[in-house]
Amino acid sequence: MNAILTLALKSLRNRRGTALLTVLSIACAVLLLLGVERLRHESRESFTNTISGTDLIVGARSSPVHLLLFSVFHVGNATNNISWDSYRAIAQRPEVAWSIPLSLGDSHRGFRVLGTSADFFEHFRFGDRRRLELAAGKALDGPFDTVLGAEVAAQLGYRLGDRIVVAHGSGEVSFSLHEDHPFTVTGILARTGTPVDRTVHVTLAGMDAMHEDNATGPAADPLGAAMVRRGPQRQPGREDSHAHAAERAGGEEHAEDEHAAITAFLVGLKSRPAVLSMQRYVNEYPDEALTAILPGATLPELWEIVGAAEKALFGVSVLVAVVGLTGMLIALLTSLSERRREMAVLRSVGARPAQVFALIVGEATVLTLAGIALGVALLYGGLFLGQPWLEARMGLYIPIALPSGRELTLAALVALAGIIIGLVPGYRLYRHSLADGMTIRI
Amino acid sequence: MRFAWHGTTQALLEIEALRVTPGERMFLRGPSGSGKSTLLSLLAGVLTPSAGEILLLGHDLAMLSGAQRDRIRADHVGFIFQMFNLIPYLSVMENVMLPCGFSERRRVRARERGGTVEAEARRLLGALDMADAGLLARSVTQLSVGQQQRVAAARALIGAPELVIADEPTSSLDADRRNAFVDLLFRECRASGSALVFVSHDPGLAPLFDRMVELTTINQAPETQMPMG
Repeated sequence: MNAILTLALKSLRNRRGTALLTVLSIACAVLLLLGVERLRHESRESFTNTISGTDLIVGARSSPVHLLLFSVFHVGNATNNISWDSYRAIAQRPEVAWSIPLSLGDSHRGFRVLGTSADFFEHFRFGDRRRLELAAGKALDGPFDTVLGAEVAAQLGYRLGDRIVVAHGSGEVSFSLHEDHPFTVTGILARTGTPVDRTVHVTLAGMDAMHEDNATGPAADPLGAAMVRRGPQRQPGREDSHAHAAERAGGEEHAEDEHAAITAFLVGLKSRPAVLSMQRYVNEYPDEALTAILPGATLPELWEIVGAAEKALFGVSVLVAVVGLTGMLIALLTSLSERRREMAVLRSVGARPAQVFALIVGEATVLTLAGIALGVALLYGGLFLGQPWLEARMGLYIPIALPSGRELTLAALVALAGIIIGLVPGYRLYRHSLADGMTIRI
Repeated sequence: MRFAWHGTTQALLEIEALRVTPGERMFLRGPSGSGKSTLLSLLAGVLTPSAGEILLLGHDLAMLSGAQRDRIRADHVGFIFQMFNLIPYLSVMENVMLPCGFSERRRVRARERGGTVEAEARRLLGALDMADAGLLARSVTQLSVGQQQRVAAARALIGAPELVIADEPTSSLDADRRNAFVDLLFRECRASGSALVFVSHDPGLAPLFDRMVELTTINQAPETQMPMG
């Protein structure tokens, strides 16, 4: 067998041009296959880590995925609001350790504005229970303070002390600006790789004041003032506040802990086992139609929807691997006719047909293994070089770790496929060498 | 001994008896299509007869498994083809030493003669006027046909196999080179004590040999049209 391995290596060295191309194509296929697999894994990981440590997300009655989308990912709008009273009632239950009110519906130059409380910076967790960290400044304090996500600050070039104006609605261009109440940038968050990066955080008080003052002007938002009940396409939070404002004859200071309606809130419980009973309690809350979801259960559900592209990507990379291996099959098969002479010579010096077979399969194996080794080396080289870029631009942190079990399985499958592919020309030459014997056919 | 190709009833070869004695130089003559190459494949144990027996050093090849026949061929038979004898990706030396990679016996015998396999290979090449360092360094594909045939002869002779089979080794050589090649081959066969079965359609070489056998004379099978030589 040693003689055969030596022959296989020398034969490959002789055809090093073709061999190198074959190795390269297999390496690219492996690189893509493992790269996509790792990206897939990490983006899924980062997706499911968008929020952690939160036991329940509560919003107005809607589908769980919808609630998750607008409250955590800031995609789409709430169908309805939650009254401040309901929020207080639930948040003050004995099982609740902490709660974070969320009020959405405004935007600043294309970025969502989130009205919340200081508890957000205290209790919100993402990833592996990481807390939000300030890259500069301080968390929300005064009513017209704002804390920017890393992406917002980076794209719009804001610095501490800048004053920004919030617009009504979520579009890039809005005709309804809350110009009377500029917010001052007091803090900028460190990058998280979650939607927090793309969010402008303000206080609920600031948000209320802004909307109330708008509502006092008769022409500011006549629809909002007139309509207490509203359709889902309107921005409910805002109109509710307008309605409140109208009731209170506008402009008065709120009680210390009294705000307009909110869009959703996050709940952390004192003990996790209470989560199901708490969820049932919220879902059956008598005064308002509410929905409570467990992020850990709904995130995978959402991933099933948005993860379809990832499956397609994986499918494509499998196809590339097939193409790479087919290239090797073609290279091996085209060399067959010239190698039949070589096989006759080998037979004449005593090589068994099985050894002839082993020679070809051995070459395919060497090519495949070299391709896989190169592919893995390229993957780690690429990760090493691309890691900072991916984290900065995509908010995707890819740790340089040892290959996962799944990646090893994929690599092993490629190796197996390469060896099986080698069996095809190997078997053909084996048949030839049995039939031809030592007759040299040209 | 009788041989018919698989799937045909018509025998290609039907030979009562053919005997090669140790050290003998036999000239086997036959026109193209007379079954020469088939007979050589039978002698070398690549093909097995449909009936009858082929004894090589007392082993009945027909009774042995394929692997055993391959083993016997590796140990006891050297082969020279008409052309394309050499493995293109091996050096001249590696081509010559190739049989020693497949046969322990020939490796041992080569060492006995030359000290090491390399030394024996170099000695044989030297005896065949191929010891020039420039030639050895060259890729085998850059050698002339005559040089290639001499490398093939050295390979057939390394480890002193009992039987050397040469299948029209001189047909691509011109007359001068042909005689020189046969002389060298004789000398080395004698030195290693190998019997030589030399196949050719060219009767001009016949007088040089101990014995000439006309394949058409000993073959009792009715003549058929075969696609191969």
